[in-house]
Amino acid sequence: MTELKKVLKLRTVVSTSSGMAIATSCYLAGIQIATIVEGELAWISILVAGLFCLLSSMCFSELTSLYPTAAGIKLFIQNAFNEKTAIIIGMFYVLLGISMVGAESYLLSSVLADSIRITTLFYDRLFWMIIFILLVAFINFRGIFVTGVVQDILTYSMIAFLIGISIFALSRNGIHIHPALSSAKFTLGNVLNAAGVGVFLFVGYEWVTPLAEETTDYRLIGKGMLYAIGILSITYSLFIVAMSTGLTHEQLASGSPIPHIIFGRNLLGGVGVVLFIIMSVLASVTSFNSGLLNTSRFSYAMGRDNVLPRIFSKLHPTYATPWVAIVFLGAFAITVSLLTLVTGQYMFLILMAAALECFIYVIMAVCVVRLRKKYPERERSFRIPFGNLIPVITMIVFFGLMIGLFADVTRDYTGNILFHNYWVAVVMGGFFLFTTAYTFIIVPRLKKKAAARARARARRRPARAKSGTEKTASR
Amino acid sequence: MATTQEILEALADYQVQCNNNKRLRKMQRDWTKLLHFFAEDTGGSFSMEVVKGEIISFKSGAEGTPDVVVTANSEDLCDMFWGDLNPNSKYLAGEIRVKASQEDIMRIDAISMIIWPDA
Repeated sequence: MTELKKVLKLRTVVSTSSGMAIATSCYLAGIQIATIVEGELAWISILVAGLFCLLSSMCFSELTSLYPTAAGIKLFIQNAFNEKTAIIIGMFYVLLGISMVGAESYLLSSVLADSIRITTLFYDRLFWMIIFILLVAFINFRGIFVTGVVQDILTYSMIAFLIGISIFALSRNGIHIHPALSSAKFTLGNVLNAAGVGVFLFVGYEWVTPLAEETTDYRLIGKGMLYAIGILSITYSLFIVAMSTGLTHEQLASGSPIPHIIFGRNLLGGVGVVLFIIMSVLASVTSFNSGLLNTSRFSYAMGRDNVLPRIFSKLHPTYATPWVAIVFLGAFAITVSLLTLVTGQYMFLILMAAALECFIYVIMAVCVVRLRKKYPERERSFRIPFGNLIPVITMIVFFGLMIGLFADVTRDYTGNILFHNYWVAVVMGGFFLFTTAYTFIIVPRLKKKAAARARARARRRPARAKSGTEKTASR
Repeated sequence: MATTQEILEALADYQVQCNNNKRLRKMQRDWTKLLHFFAEDTGGSFSMEVVKGEIISFKSGAEGTPDVVVTANSEDLCDMFWGDLNPNSKYLAGEIRVKASQEDIMRIDAISMIIWPDA
């Protein structure tokens, strides 16, 4: 394999994978897990979710070893099924993925508005929300990249901080396992439902797969994902237990969107608040920045491939960034954020993201099985052991978790119903119908126009003297 | 299959098109890279040196440690350099493979998009 001047090291693959998963909304998802089961036992559901995600990461590893490209998920689905299915699912994934910004920006704005009051809570949140999205859009617009070393420092600092503060809090507050074990909430059903929500904690770990082209050994990506999930499982398990046991019953019942800030205040006073604000800003900016970077590049590629209108493939003349895609996705993110601000239903988006991940993991497991059948001899530097057993288990587990999520209801800490989760399925179904209709109605028209443009353009390559060897160019 | 000579002719045209395009030169003004191209069906290899957006040289053979490695069949490479195919579509279909940073991958496609927007 040819060496490159710059290659990613395992350390950076792990930090990128875990850094994409760590976000401010994870603290809320953690409290939701602690609400479903007891706080002291939240670690069980988190470890179960981590274990399930390990299964899905094996599927991603095999697929990446087969197609080590940034085109990733779209190419896996296209080869396993067909182009239309790949477009439908790819766009569905991107649209819902960017919707997560609604929850993330709402929560980060809550953190900042709680600490720096300028006008009223509503307008302060609105202000910080828009500032946050504009800042990240600007970073992307200018083409400012987080280098591997910076990513390493940020991610490992966040992880070290979370683990350190958790051990400190647990040693100070103690943990009472026995009463929790006898709680009515501690049932197998609740542990599994909480694990479904727990999948959210790992959302984005797979976004490291497009970096396969920057490594010399594709197996690094698989290894990196495994380590990242392991590190995240331990970090979240410690932190969620420490946080939920470090909050009073009244604080948990208040349904605050900033439990980690309250926890920091309880533990270390003003210093704790400042530390957790810094953590929130870093976590939100890095995860949203990577999210916008990936989705805007995806939109650019779709524009170039005549799946989205050509305007999406416009590049900034100075910074060489897909500015139209960035502006469109930024505007979409602001719209979703405003909806979240008005309704306050950030948990809805968190559950939608968890269900979306479950759906994608099912699709990836199906892709592994179908591609093994279609291309049995094709070289794979990593092949999941035990035949199709693990992909099939992955399909069953994540399909079950997704259905379990949809069938459940979301409650606050005191047991009041916030909403029925089938509404999450309804909204996701709406998005899926939209991308399907778009693929069947709009995409053929865009392709037809592109084909007409290509036909109108004269072929530049000189014809060969021997006509028998001439070949029509692919367009 | 395209011969080495045909690919070198295509590269010569590609160099002229790139270097004469002011918009592209402005966009790529900070882009200094060594690129390798491999034609997997013929076993041919090519090097191209870009300094501040200007293609200063190209030749047959893969020399030096590259920043970017592009692998495709010889016909696709030739058509890509002549501007007769959309490299992004081939890349999304897995027929053109690239080893590079995400930024560099997009910049290679950007060259074709700016010179030949209708390809």
